[in-house]
Amino acid sequence: MIASFHQLVYFLRAAFGGLRGSPLPTLVSIATIALAVVPLGGLLIITGNMGALLARHGESRQVTAFLEVDLAPGAEAELAQRVASWDGVTRVELVTRESALERFRERLGGGALLEALEENPLPASIEVTLRPGDDRGAAAEAVAAALRALPGVDEVAGGEAWVAGYARALALVRSAGLALGAILALATLLIVANTVRLAVYARRDELEILALVGASRTFLRVPYLIEGAIQGTLGGLLGVGMLYALFRIAVPQLGDALDLFLGWSQPVFLPPERSALLVGSGAGFGLLGAAIAVARTRVS
Amino acid sequence: MNGRGPVAPQRSAAVRPATSRRAGGDPLIRLFHVSKSYGAESVALRDLSVEIRKGELVFLSGPSGAGKTTLMKLLFAAERPTEGQILVLGRNVARLGERRIPALRRRIGVVFQDFKLIQTRTIEENVALALEVLGRPPREVRSKVFAMLRRVGLQHRRHDLPAALSGGEQQRVALARALVNEPAILLADEPTGNLDAELTIEIMDLVAGAAARGTTVLVATHDQALIRRYARRTLRLEGGRLIEDLPGGAR
Repeated sequence: MIASFHQLVYFLRAAFGGLRGSPLPTLVSIATIALAVVPLGGLLIITGNMGALLARHGESRQVTAFLEVDLAPGAEAELAQRVASWDGVTRVELVTRESALERFRERLGGGALLEALEENPLPASIEVTLRPGDDRGAAAEAVAAALRALPGVDEVAGGEAWVAGYARALALVRSAGLALGAILALATLLIVANTVRLAVYARRDELEILALVGASRTFLRVPYLIEGAIQGTLGGLLGVGMLYALFRIAVPQLGDALDLFLGWSQPVFLPPERSALLVGSGAGFGLLGAAIAVARTRVS
Repeated sequence: MNGRGPVAPQRSAAVRPATSRRAGGDPLIRLFHVSKSYGAESVALRDLSVEIRKGELVFLSGPSGAGKTTLMKLLFAAERPTEGQILVLGRNVARLGERRIPALRRRIGVVFQDFKLIQTRTIEENVALALEVLGRPPREVRSKVFAMLRRVGLQHRRHDLPAALSGGEQQRVALARALVNEPAILLADEPTGNLDAELTIEIMDLVAGAAARGTTVLVATHDQALIRRYARRTLRLEGGRLIEDLPGGAR
């Protein structure tokens, strides 16, 4: 396709020359790609964080049974032993009322509130860890139901329906992201293709002269493909940069609203490989848009 | 094909067949009963048969609309004949696939009346195009371009843009671009049409010099003074027909 290193150098020079020669359409193209990358990247951030939260819960697969406060001495340990023998349970930890209060004190960092308590209000609990698996909480739900049926168990946390619901919400957001991505990709392709077509049209005389001296179709077209890829890459980089700035500004402002989606976990930006994927997608769209434009161009 | 050249004397008593053989080289261009029409009403060339040998300088004359430019376009595959066959450098241009056209054009230099230079590129860059499409190394490109510009007397203007040059100088650049690749054939379509008498001679001397170096040259012109001055073989077209094939010196 490319006959030599010298031709590659020529193509790069021609491509950069072309970009310099038509700054406004180039900037419009880059900005369009950047603006398409921002919402897509935003969705990736949201789904990434939701997915991580789900994975954390999925991985820990922990169910906690809070026990009644007036159980007979020894009944707590007996219950824990019984649960430990269940199928699928890998670990059981009994948290007594005293150690629960101790934990609470540690988390709060002490304080007058706890000092003012006349008696320990916290119940004992049994923390049950389940064998890892990919059943989206079905096993945890079953264990939770079994725990609820045990005498002496007051309340069960974990393995609730929210995990499955959250997984469904995540799938919905992902689907919405795919649909939005498809629409944005199409719009981006059309704009890049039109920009490159304008560039081809503006340099039609030049292309005809090149064809006259024996330039092959590849020779005529490759610089435009490189232009498209450069526009796409720059658009992708700009988009990821904008997204990062937006992330840094928006996350502290959103606060409670984010907690609704992510619990109390701190949202994280896209990992480097996802950022690179976004930039690469920008480059791909630029290249594809240019390919569409040049495929529809005929030079005699 | 009888080896005497495919000129069609039966079409006109004035046609003198096979004068090309005197140049002695192999035929590089052969047309067999070539016609070209743009719809039923517009016939540009009618049943044209002619042969041009290696190293010949041939004038193509005739009034506007005679079919000179159409013939040129057929030879470098910018257009296809409606009928007939065209052999250029041993290839049947009439049937040449799109992908094979560039390879043909790399062996044909073309010069037009309006120069066809890229206005945003320097003289040096314009001339270099013919070598860059071949993927030649930059050092070779620079040295060949410099040598070619020196041959046309423009080495000192190599960093200028075409707009800074006079018409004659721009045509010399176009010639340099057409010849830098040492093509087998040079096609010049009214190369002096925009130039005054003095510049016309300057350009034609360069064209004749290319022929002297072994390039087969076909010059389309309606300038009879020019044809008389150089006294070379002349193909005269009228209404798309070849009505005369005058040998060199037969003025």
